[in-house]
Amino acid sequence: MDNLMMQRRDAIKSLLAISAAGALAACTGKTESGESKPAASASPKFASAGKFLSTDEMALVSALAQTIIPKTETAGAIEAGVPESIQGLASEWGDDNYRKYIRSGLATLEKHFKTVGGQSFTAQSEKQQESLLSKYDADVYGGKKEDQFYRDFKSTVATAYYMSEPGATEELAYEAVPGEWKGCVPLADYPKTWAT
Amino acid sequence: MADFDVIVVGSGMSGGWVAKEMCEKGFKVGVIERGRDISPAEDYTDMVDPWDMEHLNFKGHEAKEDYPIQSEVYAFHSYTKQFWVKDKEHPYIVPEGQEYRWRRGYHTGGRSIMWGRQSYRFSEIDFEANKKDGHGVDWPLRYKDIAPWYDYVEKFAGISGSKEGLEILPDGVFQPPQELTCGEEVLKKKIESAFPGRKLIPGRVANLTAPTPEQTALGRGKCQNRDHCYRGCSFGAYFSSNSATLPAARNTGNLTLINNTAVHEVIYDPETKRATGVKTVNVKTNETKIITARVIFLNAGTIPTSMILLNSKSESFKTGLANSSGQLGHNLMDHVIGGRAHGLLPGMEDKYHYGRRANGFYIPRFRNHTETGEGFIRGFGYQGRVYRSNWQGSSNQAGVGKDFKAKNRTPGAWWASMVGFAEILPNFDNHVRLHETKTDKWGFPIPILDAKHSENEKAAIRQAGIDAAEMLKAAGCTNIGGAINEGHTLTEPGNGIHEMGTARMGRDPKTSVLNKWNQSWDVANLFITDGSFMTSAGCQNPSLGYMAFSARAADYAARLMKDGAI
Repeated sequence: MDNLMMQRRDAIKSLLAISAAGALAACTGKTESGESKPAASASPKFASAGKFLSTDEMALVSALAQTIIPKTETAGAIEAGVPESIQGLASEWGDDNYRKYIRSGLATLEKHFKTVGGQSFTAQSEKQQESLLSKYDADVYGGKKEDQFYRDFKSTVATAYYMSEPGATEELAYEAVPGEWKGCVPLADYPKTWAT
Repeated sequence: MADFDVIVVGSGMSGGWVAKEMCEKGFKVGVIERGRDISPAEDYTDMVDPWDMEHLNFKGHEAKEDYPIQSEVYAFHSYTKQFWVKDKEHPYIVPEGQEYRWRRGYHTGGRSIMWGRQSYRFSEIDFEANKKDGHGVDWPLRYKDIAPWYDYVEKFAGISGSKEGLEILPDGVFQPPQELTCGEEVLKKKIESAFPGRKLIPGRVANLTAPTPEQTALGRGKCQNRDHCYRGCSFGAYFSSNSATLPAARNTGNLTLINNTAVHEVIYDPETKRATGVKTVNVKTNETKIITARVIFLNAGTIPTSMILLNSKSESFKTGLANSSGQLGHNLMDHVIGGRAHGLLPGMEDKYHYGRRANGFYIPRFRNHTETGEGFIRGFGYQGRVYRSNWQGSSNQAGVGKDFKAKNRTPGAWWASMVGFAEILPNFDNHVRLHETKTDKWGFPIPILDAKHSENEKAAIRQAGIDAAEMLKAAGCTNIGGAINEGHTLTEPGNGIHEMGTARMGRDPKTSVLNKWNQSWDVANLFITDGSFMTSAGCQNPSLGYMAFSARAADYAARLMKDGAI
């Protein structure tokens, strides 16, 4: 019932909300080869047989997710299984509207990054990906650009990551059974955000 | 020879108590539960870790299709949906242009599994309210009559809380309170100094913080601060029928729990002027069966209890059993929830909290008590909390990459939030009635839930929103938002999930359904101790009161039974 729960609820609600406007052409699935070594080549290939998101779409999902939450001393989005979670939502959880929303949202992002980066996002260098996505993110959250899909996608990536085992237990702090409740402890003793 | 000494219709919050008390007094008790039985091993999901939750625990389409009404509840998600009814199977009607949100679960324990566990006493001020301002009828008893029964049920149920000595919110028999966060301590100090007469206290909650031998003997343990209560508790740490009253009843050897059995009507014998039993329908097989007893307690939940009695028509009671007053089904009350506010509480960057407290703070009513209320009578209390925000807040903000990850890893600012719970006045027009022709799949008449918020409730909630924002401001909060910015929209009737009042107790059989012992004026061996009996609603969460009145009524009925009066 508190503000955080409301934010979480809003995040989920906005993910469920399907924008009828702004439907773009479906992803062509074509990729262009670039000069720099594509960062996503280091990523696992996702088999898409029987799944909704295609191999190319999954490559984009992985590249975006890993750029949002990269591998540091702890797991990044890919190691934490975020792309699979998003494939699960698209393939098993969502309805046709949700699938359309994801497909067109990804296609919009792909088109944008191809325009500004000269080649497909997945083919760009890690550095370029980070720089272009940072700029795009700043524009969206700074109010310069409207992209509800991107906000929802980022929120879903974060949710999938921080609910994952490495995200919850290594990156953040998680206690399945805290046992005690202490209302006021030194942050120095518990420096990491609680996962839930 | 009757099947049972006592039939209890419903195994939830109040029915569990009647069953325990009557079994312990040596009576053979049949508890008739319309829902299935549940078992911790199969139905509780409190041990599921976040990473094992399917599809990130997002509400799926099943939620929208099967649970359009229940899925709006804060306690509903993919791992709690087993405790909520499928709306399609349990239809109700709301008059054109009105709304009613009826939230419920049909299974052993009823809503005692999913309740919010906030446990507050009514005060003398509440018991006097109707008489003083002329709304509804006078309560037929006063605080001193129920106080020992509050003590009695608190000892058994286990309520954690702090002694405060407040007239508006009497102290009880408490286990140690769950301490306030540092943010809440600051909020408390600032509010209490800026507004003398207002108090911020730890929530009083039915979670064990120091279990008694009686509680541990029932297999109940200390609260582990996981905040998974709505999934059921494998530690039995919060009070429910399932963890506490039904096991105690079962230990006597006198309990028979009859699941999947819905009560269609109460059977009345005009010769003896007594209820003789209930006509039931097995919800799986549609088989009908009559079950008999000397005494009948209705604890089906406020709306279902009215449905059963309104459906129990005879020559003697043409508008429904025990309805000579014409009040049955009327005066439907709840609490209005609204007047939310939130704000960022600066400072305390070097402090944090440990564990997940399934509780928060409480601000008892001050309007029309220590301070006046403009344009409304009675008042409201608040529930709230002050925590540092986590990734769920920060991940909705700008940033990608390592910096974003680092930001989410560090606890965010302290955020304070609170929400008001306002009293709803008893009003004859707000009522439950049965549709004349429409029935559900078991042939039971479908209820019509006809209730609206009055100007008094609107004015109170408007004030709650203003007061909440002012308290946060006085505490030094920034970024204050909530009802003051978003409009003082009232939530629909039913959202408090505190339905009550449709078989009120009173001093006069002409204007009330029950006497001061929760006993029907018309039918001496018929008792009602679910929320139906409430003569006024207060603004406190009511379950603790249902427990106290249930134990008291059971004690009275047992004495009448032993005397041979019923």
